[in-house]
Amino acid sequence: METKLSKVEIVTSLSKFTELNETLSKIGVTGMTVMQVLGCGVQKGAREYAKDVNVNMELLPKQLISIVVETERVPKVIEAVKQTLYTGHIGDGKIFVSDITNVVRVRTGEEGIVALK
Amino acid sequence: MDNKKLGLGSVVSTGVGLIVATTCLMSLGQGAGAVGCVFIIAMVIACALNMLTAGSLAELNALMPNLSGGLAQYTLACLGPFPSIVSMIGGYVVCNSLAASVEAAMFGNVLQQALALPVPATVISVAVIVLLIAANLFGIDMFAKVQDVVAYALIGSLLVLGIVGVIGAGSGQLVEQSANLTTAPKDILGMTAAAFWLFIGVEFIIPIAKDVRNARKNIPLGMFISLATVLLMQTLMVFGFRRYVKWSDLASSPVPHMLYGVNLLGTPGRIWMALVSVFAAVSTLNSVISGLGKICQGMSKLGMLPGIFMKTNRFGAPVAGILLIGGGILLVESTGLSTTTEISFILLTGSVFWMVSYILAHVNVLIMRKRLPKAPRSFKTPFGPVLPVIGIIGTAYMILNISPDPAVRNKIWLLTGCIFVILGVYAFLWIKLKMKIPVFKAMPIEKVMAMENELYYPAHKASERSSAFMKG
Repeated sequence: METKLSKVEIVTSLSKFTELNETLSKIGVTGMTVMQVLGCGVQKGAREYAKDVNVNMELLPKQLISIVVETERVPKVIEAVKQTLYTGHIGDGKIFVSDITNVVRVRTGEEGIVALK
Repeated sequence: MDNKKLGLGSVVSTGVGLIVATTCLMSLGQGAGAVGCVFIIAMVIACALNMLTAGSLAELNALMPNLSGGLAQYTLACLGPFPSIVSMIGGYVVCNSLAASVEAAMFGNVLQQALALPVPATVISVAVIVLLIAANLFGIDMFAKVQDVVAYALIGSLLVLGIVGVIGAGSGQLVEQSANLTTAPKDILGMTAAAFWLFIGVEFIIPIAKDVRNARKNIPLGMFISLATVLLMQTLMVFGFRRYVKWSDLASSPVPHMLYGVNLLGTPGRIWMALVSVFAAVSTLNSVISGLGKICQGMSKLGMLPGIFMKTNRFGAPVAGILLIGGGILLVESTGLSTTTEISFILLTGSVFWMVSYILAHVNVLIMRKRLPKAPRSFKTPFGPVLPVIGIIGTAYMILNISPDPAVRNKIWLLTGCIFVILGVYAFLWIKLKMKIPVFKAMPIEKVMAMENELYYPAHKASERSSAFMKG
């Protein structure tokens, strides 16, 4: 049976990159794509210490890290990422998981899980 | 670059240094004097219960890392402001003031005995308290730099003196006496409350977590190793006591460690123990006066105490907090603490406040397990709710059996009960009238975490001013 793949996207603050990179490398993630983005969550960009809620969304600088792994490894990856990013403060981030139908390595034409190794 | 410098070894030495104070030596001497070597069984039980508390506190710290207020903030997020105020003022401010009074009393007793001064011990104690209050008001933290040295000296002294006693290598006369004065389980269990004091304070490791390498692993591990190390040191001392000091002399002495030092090594032993005790007592007293002043300042920032506690003088010292704590210590001290009975009574009363705080720590863990079952915890005590529940039952048992003497026990309950009622009335009125929030409603964890931000208070004050201006 063909191995199922999932994409894990992590949105978090810029300061957490080094730690996250170490964690993902340690658990055997073989590649990632990192983008600097602007965004906000349910707080609409309000700082945690602010008393009032923002009327309009204020976008804050964040990073979006995309990785693709075997679906069966997703819980382990999520747990490791949660442990690394957790501070208990608002703005620790969010993790999105979605299905991936195929991956193709351009150089060799390999597909599926083989293209990730 | 990793700027965190402290490893596991530093965490353990800090932990042991924080747990061991001269009052512990007093409790150790009294406990061993009352039942003999079987006091070690009571020590093991008390140590195990403190390890359970350390586990619960480490789990709460994993869930709400780097909170300066510690238990006050955990309780605020789990049980609401009322238990938080009562436990914080009772468990830390009142309890530490009582413990500091005893440290001051022991300082007076040791100096008077070592130097044979012609003034009463109470006068010496009051003088040192006044001196430390003045130093703190002028922003002079004179003992901060030597605190580590004092801690190491105390640990080293206890280990060396314990081993010398155990192997019988002292210059003093060996004492022939039975190892145990009783073996009845009831008598041994009755001493666990006295033994509890020997291990109290392991939670003070948590604030250094920010400076520790791999804190997620080293903080809980450091807490457990610290407690085990203290148990080893005290066990050696008990075996040493057996060979050099009569149990009855040990039980009746207000400074049993001095007695042991003299019996073990003669005059050098007396001087050795006197130096270590005096420095340890003064450094503990200083930590309490300056540390609790800052805790009052922090609680004032959270709105839990009047705003006057937030104000600092031109030296940056929180005047109201220092005067309140220093005054409290003076008040207890002026009652003339000097005998073992009085000192033991105050220590046991302080223990009750502390034990109530520890029970709340276990309750907080259970509440958070229910409320946030999936939140990441870098440390979680194993076996589900079993260990926190054992911690609650064990600590409650010790409160119920705080003293083997029913008259003393009732007196302790009466005193702690009265103080809790006064604190309860203050907390209720303060939360209702000043904080204007529900008395027993837990505060969202993210709000408690946000309160830690130094911009939280100015931002909220500015927002209140601007709404008042708009209304006006």
